[in-house]
Amino acid sequence: MIDARVERLAELVVTYALELGEGQVVRIDGFDVAAPLAVALYRAALHAGAHPYTHLTLDGLHELLVKEGTDEQLAYVAPSQWREIEALDAQVTIWSETNTRSFGRLDERRHGALIAAQRKLSNRRWERIAAGELRWCGTLHPTNAHAQDADMSLRDYEEFFFGACHADTPDPAAYWRSLSATLQARAESLAAVRELRILGPDTDLRVGVAGRTWIAADGKYNLPDGEVFTSPVESETEGEIRFTFPAIFNGREVEDVRLRFEGGRVVAAEASRGEAYLRELLDLDEGARMVGEVAFGLNYEIDRFTRNILLDEKIGGTMHLALGAGFAQAGGANTSALHWDMICDLRAEGEILADGELVWKDGSFVAPLDVAVAGERG
Amino acid sequence: MSYSTRVAPGELVVIDSGPLGAPLVREIHRRVLAAGAHPLVNITLEETQEALLREGSDAQLEFLSPARVEEIETADVRIVLEAEENTRTLFAADPSRQTVHKRARKVLGDRLFERSASGELRWLVTLFPTQAAAQDAGMSLVDYEDFVYRAGLLDREDPVREWRELAERLDRVAGWLDTKDELHVVAEGTDLRLRVGGRHWVASRGFENFPDGEVFTGPVETSVEGTVRCSFPAAYHGRIVEDAELRFEGGEVVAAEAARGRDFLEEMLALDEGARRMGEFAFGMNEAITEFTLNTLFDEKIGGTMHFALGKSYPETGGRNESALHWDLVCDLRAGSEVHADGELVYRDGRFLDGLF
Repeated sequence: MIDARVERLAELVVTYALELGEGQVVRIDGFDVAAPLAVALYRAALHAGAHPYTHLTLDGLHELLVKEGTDEQLAYVAPSQWREIEALDAQVTIWSETNTRSFGRLDERRHGALIAAQRKLSNRRWERIAAGELRWCGTLHPTNAHAQDADMSLRDYEEFFFGACHADTPDPAAYWRSLSATLQARAESLAAVRELRILGPDTDLRVGVAGRTWIAADGKYNLPDGEVFTSPVESETEGEIRFTFPAIFNGREVEDVRLRFEGGRVVAAEASRGEAYLRELLDLDEGARMVGEVAFGLNYEIDRFTRNILLDEKIGGTMHLALGAGFAQAGGANTSALHWDMICDLRAEGEILADGELVWKDGSFVAPLDVAVAGERG
Repeated sequence: MSYSTRVAPGELVVIDSGPLGAPLVREIHRRVLAAGAHPLVNITLEETQEALLREGSDAQLEFLSPARVEEIETADVRIVLEAEENTRTLFAADPSRQTVHKRARKVLGDRLFERSASGELRWLVTLFPTQAAAQDAGMSLVDYEDFVYRAGLLDREDPVREWRELAERLDRVAGWLDTKDELHVVAEGTDLRLRVGGRHWVASRGFENFPDGEVFTGPVETSVEGTVRCSFPAAYHGRIVEDAELRFEGGEVVAAEAARGRDFLEEMLALDEGARRMGEFAFGMNEAITEFTLNTLFDEKIGGTMHFALGKSYPETGGRNESALHWDLVCDLRAGSEVHADGELVYRDGRFLDGLF
């Protein structure tokens, strides 16, 4: 039995996000548990005239490699993988885990070595994306593991996830096109801002954004999507912030993170749980203590924290900061092996001032936009 | 791992399997790592193949993914696990569209055979028992698992030693057959002559197929004459041809009949020039396989059978037939058969006569 929502999501990825056309080569990446979505994507790509092929693997193999492989095996990238990266016109990543904690007990250093080897490939991928040679979209196929992390049954989680993608409606692409216009207008309205001041419980943080570009994340690279983000001026973050949601990195949780910034750098860090891990990551490299991203989560179908950054960073009414690497296309200059998103719930209380003027209160922007509005809370 | 593919440190081992093969894939992955090599796993789905054959344009049917092209060139070892969920997924696929697809993929098969013949690549096809395969064999999964492990001699105390012994016997048969020129096979519905002089017989000892147990060669392309009746149904890409009867003249199939699946048989014969010629001729010699299970990997090894392939020959036999096809058809020789080599009776009712080699 094919789930119509899976087919609509596949259609959305192929026609809206990747805009696949005749003769384009597209690879569908994921685990075998994502087979229903992989097949739906494959068929949608065929119908678009493209040349799809799947690149599926099994869960547990990376863990085995980290556990039992030599350093040389951890660092290995097959020659075919390098050549594929050059040959692809588009790529879909389906995140779909069978156990979100399967890396929980592995040696961090060895896991880091595997991630570093794979980053060589993903760096090249991002170069080609930035040059306009490659389109990429990351999405998810619901599993019990993701549902469990969200404290939900699989059935409820599917409803939640496909709702967040608007794949439970007959024409999700129409929705995303309309939301795209809204987010673009929001990004433009932020273009002239020099400084944001975030106020909330235990939070008073100033973030300089002058001269940086705000970008609308409108479903082209992620589905679901729905945020506007930029990379702040590296030396201008000052003050304190408390992150209400647990900060998760590589499957490990750090709870109730509190950071103090001076001159753009984290100078004090505390957490109620996982503080040692927090410090370890802050010391990863020079850029790990700097903010690489500041963003507003604007997908109001996502109304709860589910321990998955793809969804959590877009929760309508939140904002997030990422420690580590910034985005060149936003004007960001910070480099780091880290990019760790931390989310601050601003729905119940919290205000944001832009150059002294109130722009955000109780989980939404205060000023209406002059466009046909989709997705903003009315 | 230690017997069939002999994986060495630093080698690239590409492993293909359907999702149901996961338990065996994980075990192989672990052993490839332990051997110091690099495993690359590719889980393939039956449904994408179905979608392609059903819904793809000619250009899409002809497309070769960069992954496939590169892997064929760079892999040191290629392992394919059959682990089907439904052996008839492609049953309704249009044979003419399969033809377009197969023709385009010929280049991949050619490179695999070439690199294998020159020793640059080792490959292995094996099977992970699934309900679908058991159902085709007319058995429960439990019984089928027993069948598969017995066929692989894995129920023996020392399977590796057993395989070495079988390999020695196959080597002797192959060496002896290398001295022969004309073979004449007589069985019910079969009266077939072919020449094998100057060609090489290969002992298939569990390196490229597992289980294994056959000796094969590539007959002289123009030499095949007479009729052959394939007593076992032949399954190929989800289609079944029953009771196929072929007449050869000057090495080419000039007439083909079948009780079931004749259209498909005709379509495959028309695939290309070489599809009407015999690319392989072989004797199945695995005495641990006695039952027909509608799976070529096993059926062609049944002790007391012969099989031949329409289409491409293996370069290491000296065979020169070119085709996008390589389709094995199996004939039971266990009851009422004779094989003559250069006029001398050498094989009767499924066994070579004693004292020949």
